[in-house]
Amino acid sequence: MVVRFGGRFTVSSLPATNPRTPGEQLVNSAQVRGNCLIDTRVRSAFVGWIARHGSRITAMSAELIILVLLVATALAFDFTNGFHDTGNAMATSIATGALKPKVAVLLAGVLNLVGAFLSVEVAATVTTQVLNIQDGKTGQLLPSINPTMGLTIIFAGLIGGILWNLFTWLFGIPSSSSHALFGGLVGAGLAAVGSAGVNWTGISEKVLIPAVAAPVIAGIVAAVGTWLVYRITRNVVKKRREEGFRWGQIATASLVALSHGTNDAQKTMGVIALALITTGHLTGDIKENGLPFWVVFSCALAIGLGTYIGGWRVIRTLGKGLVEIESPQGLAAEASSAAIILSSSAAGMALSTTHVATGSILGSGVGKPGAEVRWSVAGRMAVAWLLTLPAAGLVGALTFWISDGIAAVSTALWGDIVIFAILVTASFYIWWRAQQQKVDHSNVNADWDAKTNSVVPAEVRQARATARQGKPKEPIA
Amino acid sequence: MQYFESILRVLVVGLVLGAGLPALFAVGLLSYSHGVGVTDADGTTHAPNPAVKFLGLALFVFVAAVIVVAIMWITRTTVIHHFGVDLFPFLPKK
Repeated sequence: MVVRFGGRFTVSSLPATNPRTPGEQLVNSAQVRGNCLIDTRVRSAFVGWIARHGSRITAMSAELIILVLLVATALAFDFTNGFHDTGNAMATSIATGALKPKVAVLLAGVLNLVGAFLSVEVAATVTTQVLNIQDGKTGQLLPSINPTMGLTIIFAGLIGGILWNLFTWLFGIPSSSSHALFGGLVGAGLAAVGSAGVNWTGISEKVLIPAVAAPVIAGIVAAVGTWLVYRITRNVVKKRREEGFRWGQIATASLVALSHGTNDAQKTMGVIALALITTGHLTGDIKENGLPFWVVFSCALAIGLGTYIGGWRVIRTLGKGLVEIESPQGLAAEASSAAIILSSSAAGMALSTTHVATGSILGSGVGKPGAEVRWSVAGRMAVAWLLTLPAAGLVGALTFWISDGIAAVSTALWGDIVIFAILVTASFYIWWRAQQQKVDHSNVNADWDAKTNSVVPAEVRQARATARQGKPKEPIA
Repeated sequence: MQYFESILRVLVVGLVLGAGLPALFAVGLLSYSHGVGVTDADGTTHAPNPAVKFLGLALFVFVAAVIVVAIMWITRTTVIHHFGVDLFPFLPKK
């Protein structure tokens, strides 16, 4: 566009003919008037300026396109973060019937939206927890990292996070979105800078230790809570008990959803802030002046919308797969989750909402006398958690290499466009796979198939299998 | 060791709030259903008792109050930012 613009001015002494677009009409009419008004000398000076700065403008617009792609990817990550984590707050309420599935996701979505707007302390230094590419105080990239490389690291990291989120969602496995993002960033950082670019102490302190501690603490607390609740109310008629606990369950689940919005949307805001700081679009003290409103607004909208769409597969595993939940267990689990998430953030130890919620639900199964916990489902989750960091890291590293390789023979812009296209294609493929055996609000509470432990209800799989076999062969004409 | 300590602290707070509150809620439910006079699961009947019913309601209100405090806790940084009021001055800043 820039080139054409420049070219237009070099030939603009000729009357332009046959305008094809309204934009060109505008340019042409301006030129007709310009021919009378603008002194030829001014115009030739402008032509000279374009000639001298044209390449710089092209470079700037390339950076702008990368920035736009990056912001779009960050918002997409925010969206997957929302729908992957709906279950943390609402799985128990949906499973016990305290809330209708659609109402539950709407409530969680609105609370996430509100929570995101409440966050004022933006995690602008979110990458410093796992990487050494950003100044912990100013939020700017370190001088040793050039902006293009910095942007590509964040880009590749986000792609690693998104794809791992979608992959685990396909199998209905709750896994931490923050860990997926961190994994992607670490992988991309390793690929770009080598091991010096990685904050190893940060990884063990902020990611690994909490990952082990969170489900254990949550499990103990929820188990004790569940046991107490059943012990105390053992003489109360079951119907009254179920009804009574539903109210407490909805209140505690809402707390979890609200705190999720305040905590998680900030991470995406921080990533976007880093990109804006790197390209020079955002200057000044973020802590003092806050972020531009569009950043807060779009992040809040993305996480709220994602939560509302509802990762039904993850909800189903949490609500039906691990334990058959009754409402007293639901209350104990959500109370435990809320208490631990809030107290850990006060103690400066950020625990993953997903790990806490999963641990709590497991604990509520352990604590209820006679309840059955499907340990094989829990085991599968544990494996997924162990894989989160390396798998997202691998995707992050691969996409960084692809982008970097293309940048070496072409431009950084093409490198980033290609990895963006890879992201879109892979995401669409995973979504398409999920549509084949759909789990949604209508069958989220279907009986769990303990034989396969698949998140897809048995009826859906059978229907799919018969549809495949029973499909009449196309007659060859 | 510092991490072990904070893990332990979170566990203790979690047990008090995360397990204690559901237990209180359960006691509230028990008192309330005794108070209004119902038949238990084992067939025992209770005469209505306003005092016990009131105790149950009071426990519900207490649990609700703790939830309100929790919402204030979640929003405290926002409140500090916009109104300059620290709702939890005795606790360390986040």
